[in-house]
Amino acid sequence: MEGNATLNERPVAIGRLLWSRIIWRHWRREPRLILVLVGILALGVAVFLSVRLANKAAVSGFGMFTESIAGESDFILRPTAGTLDVSALRQLRERAGSTPVGIFPVLEVSAVSADRPEDGWVKMVGADLVALQNAAIYTGGGALVAGDSAAGDDGIPGLADRGFVGSSFARRFGIVKGEAMPLIVNGVPVEFDISGVIPENPNLPSVPDNLILMDLPGLQSLAELEGKLSRIELRIAPGIEAGENRQKIGALMWDLAAEKGWILETPEDRKSSVTQMSAAFRLNLTILSGLALLVGIYLIMQAMEAAVVKRRGEIAVLRSLGVTPAQIRAAWLWEGFILGLAGAIVGIILGRLMAMGLVVAISRTVNTLYYETTTSAVTLERGEILFSLVFGVTASLVAALIPAREASMTLPAQSMREGGQGGGLALLRQWPLGLILLAVGIGFAFVPPRVLASGSIVPLGGYLAAVVLVLSASLLIGLLFKPLSMILKRGGKDDPMRLYAASQLRRPEGRHRLTAAGLAVAIGMSAAMGILVASFETTLTGWIQQLLKADLYVAAAGTNSVTNGNTLSASTWEMIEDIPGVSGTDKIRRYEVSVQENNFFLGGVDYNDDPDRFLQLMWLEPPALKGPASLETRSGEAFPGWASESLARRFSLEVGSRIPLPTAEGERPIEVAGIFAEYGNETGTLLVARKFTREWFGDDRISNLAVYLDPEADVELVLETIRKTFPGLVARTNRKLRTDSIRIFHQTFAVTYALEAIAVFIAVAGLGLALAGLLLERRDELATLKALGATRREIARSAMWEGIGLALAGLTGGYLLSFLLGWILIFVINPQSFGWTLSYHVPWFSYIALAAITLSTAAGVAWSVGYRNANLRGERKE
Amino acid sequence: MKALQVSKITKSYDKVPVLRRVSFSLEVGERAALMGPSGSGKSTLLNCIGGIDRPDEGEISLQGQSLKGMDENELCRLRRGTVSTVFQFFHLLPTLTAAENIEFPLQLSGMSESERKVMLPELIEEVGLSHRSHAMPHELSGGEMQRVAIARALAIRPKLILADEPTGNLDSATGEVILDLLEAISERHGIAMLLVTHSPGVTRICRRTLEMRDGLLVDQSEAAV
Repeated sequence: MEGNATLNERPVAIGRLLWSRIIWRHWRREPRLILVLVGILALGVAVFLSVRLANKAAVSGFGMFTESIAGESDFILRPTAGTLDVSALRQLRERAGSTPVGIFPVLEVSAVSADRPEDGWVKMVGADLVALQNAAIYTGGGALVAGDSAAGDDGIPGLADRGFVGSSFARRFGIVKGEAMPLIVNGVPVEFDISGVIPENPNLPSVPDNLILMDLPGLQSLAELEGKLSRIELRIAPGIEAGENRQKIGALMWDLAAEKGWILETPEDRKSSVTQMSAAFRLNLTILSGLALLVGIYLIMQAMEAAVVKRRGEIAVLRSLGVTPAQIRAAWLWEGFILGLAGAIVGIILGRLMAMGLVVAISRTVNTLYYETTTSAVTLERGEILFSLVFGVTASLVAALIPAREASMTLPAQSMREGGQGGGLALLRQWPLGLILLAVGIGFAFVPPRVLASGSIVPLGGYLAAVVLVLSASLLIGLLFKPLSMILKRGGKDDPMRLYAASQLRRPEGRHRLTAAGLAVAIGMSAAMGILVASFETTLTGWIQQLLKADLYVAAAGTNSVTNGNTLSASTWEMIEDIPGVSGTDKIRRYEVSVQENNFFLGGVDYNDDPDRFLQLMWLEPPALKGPASLETRSGEAFPGWASESLARRFSLEVGSRIPLPTAEGERPIEVAGIFAEYGNETGTLLVARKFTREWFGDDRISNLAVYLDPEADVELVLETIRKTFPGLVARTNRKLRTDSIRIFHQTFAVTYALEAIAVFIAVAGLGLALAGLLLERRDELATLKALGATRREIARSAMWEGIGLALAGLTGGYLLSFLLGWILIFVINPQSFGWTLSYHVPWFSYIALAAITLSTAAGVAWSVGYRNANLRGERKE
Repeated sequence: MKALQVSKITKSYDKVPVLRRVSFSLEVGERAALMGPSGSGKSTLLNCIGGIDRPDEGEISLQGQSLKGMDENELCRLRRGTVSTVFQFFHLLPTLTAAENIEFPLQLSGMSESERKVMLPELIEEVGLSHRSHAMPHELSGGEMQRVAIARALAIRPKLILADEPTGNLDSATGEVILDLLEAISERHGIAMLLVTHSPGVTRICRRTLEMRDGLLVDQSEAAV
């Protein structure tokens, strides 16, 4: 019994011995190295976490507000297109019968501050304030304006031109209760009284800083949308029967929605449908998070590999003393676990701080491109913390396992002879495997996309190709060291430190390969994103050139986002058409519609009759008929329409296909007459003649007006006339609109540039850390160099050349990888995901700039690391 | 002028005295063995003489030039021209070939390529390694590595070579050959040598033996050459 007990306890005892006598003492002896390891781990975790947090914070603003109108709604009812009629409320109440349910009608309208239009747009939400005040019974006091907080001293106002704002709004626009704020709503200037400021409530989501809440009839009248609603929110009263009632109301409303052609959704559905619109942007961020993740893993592996390789000699001694490979692996895995945990904890704190900077850039992009949102605070939830801990620890364990396994399997005699030198990840020496992966990666690119049950198309082959190519680049990078070493050597025959650095690259250690691989991945993925952005920009510029042919463009103020609903009344555009010098106009009225739960834009277009100006779109499949007839000539029951490339892809449309279009008057069949390229949004657009949409939606307002002038007309004069006559409109010249479009484009990718910079910065920091580790390992060599007369600066110079060599390897490998990844992004992932045809364009200037920045930073970091480590004392001393 | 003058040097690590008022000197071309048990302070003394470490007290002069007050750059210059070291574990730069290792200090001292081209084969020839000059350190035997280390030390034509257990990592036959080589070089070029050793055999090429114990120089005896 006793013998068995002793045997069972032995692994634990040996593990404890290894810990206390070997690992722990190592830590105590070299606290700097341990700090470096934890720092590397923390950086990897921080970047990944910060991208996730920032993305989440930026896109959650919309969802939070949707939920907060009536506390948290159970259901939302909205039209498939346009607005709901207020009569829907009665139908809804009748259908609900005696089931206790709170019904909250909501109208949303966009506006812009007349004084500060550059400050972005304002969302005006009209709600039944009396019902909302009573909402407390449905929400347990959790409604946004429940109680006295919203009404202030004035009670519930019913006035058209009064509203409430949050304290952040008041701060942003510098207004107080009782003051008037000039606004432009649908192109019309209005004076708006602020009746009350909603105070901050710690138990509720903060009121966005761009929100004005007002009484529903007031907003309906202000926006000339009498009797119209954007949506109806339903809230089940809490209580023991709440679950049952929710189910009952859900079933009833589902039937009603199906019958009336409305959409019934939960707030979660709404959120996901909103975020669906930003799929391209999210893909962009996903790629960048992936980049951060990969760079992080490389850094962690680098650190763990260094820690294990450094102690290979020690591991050999332990093995010679009878410690089994499994026990050695276990001890080092425990070390990896603890280092991973420590790194993850520091990384979480760091990531939280980094996210605060990133969130501003991300939310600005989301605001510009997709929908109004406010930057919600970066919140670190338990799930994120857990995820980061698991990520840090797992990456650390995986990173520790491979080198620990290699070290524990090496014969003791060999390890003792080699000591801390050599070793590293044997896998990274397998360049033939790299060639195989290269072929496999290219092969994956030709795999057709996968269509999910939901209808979404996933370019699985493209993603797999990208991952496999990244791995392949990591294995092939080692092939670059020899030629680079020769180049370095050739250029510095009389510089012994440069020759010494070249000799290090001639026989690269695992650490060299790993560092260069990490840098190549960061550079490769960043540069590939650069190719995507440049290709997009080139294509977009050509598209804008083709599209924008009019002399002036007019829209209601604040229509700088695709989902903005501001419009121009018929009287306004008619007056513009009458201005002397105006020879013709094109009009478009945009609606957001939903078919088979997929949102897209419907455009009712009115082209002027000039045949030279007609059909300015970039056609992929031009319509058979020329001129306005193409959109106005019906074939039987169907109405002709032009589909954008992405819409055609999403609904598998070809010329001649039909799509059922929901309208206020019921469904209308649209037959595709032509397919055009469009890069303005990825959800897709369907264009039909405005004479039809006017009929279907009973609406003569327009979203945008393109104005053509007589050849002899003075553009500036007409522009000035429009501005003076209609101060609530934004009129821009052709050139200004082009400039603005390109500016918005660059703003969209601002976050991409920021994240790319972070990835490259981290990779270069990794290079510095790797060099520090290498020099620590080579401390005996440094002592020899000093014994031979090398000065501290000379040793630093040698480290600098080594760093430059590593950076050159990373850059060369990274750029080669980027050409392939760029090709996959543009010709595989992009057309499969969004249906956009782009031309391949390499941004050479950015490439040169990135190379210059990387090389100079690497040189600087390496020099300072060399300088700091040049005074390390060799391990030999008596 | 003496090749080396050590006067009353003292050195401690973490308050533990390693050298205690050590004094001795070496004439030009003189070879002396420095013996003593492990921990007696031999290597520390060597490091102080080579300018890699600094004594806490006392003075060291090489060729009449005091090391006291020299800054790091001056010490570097000293190591590039006056004193060089041969180590027990050779300490060749592992990524350089044998020839490149030997050439390295010549490059450091700023010698032109044409001069190096003349001198390098002579050095390689002198240590008998012409056939192995392009080998990497890990491809060389222990004896060959030590020959490379000796040639590297010799390259700068120093006035003093410090050899730390030069035969300690070699078999006895190879050790004998290396000692012969050191003696020949010292005789040929008039280089003084201080050889740290545990092996009494090394003393055969030395005129004097210095005995250290607990940081003290306890004995200086003339060898029976």
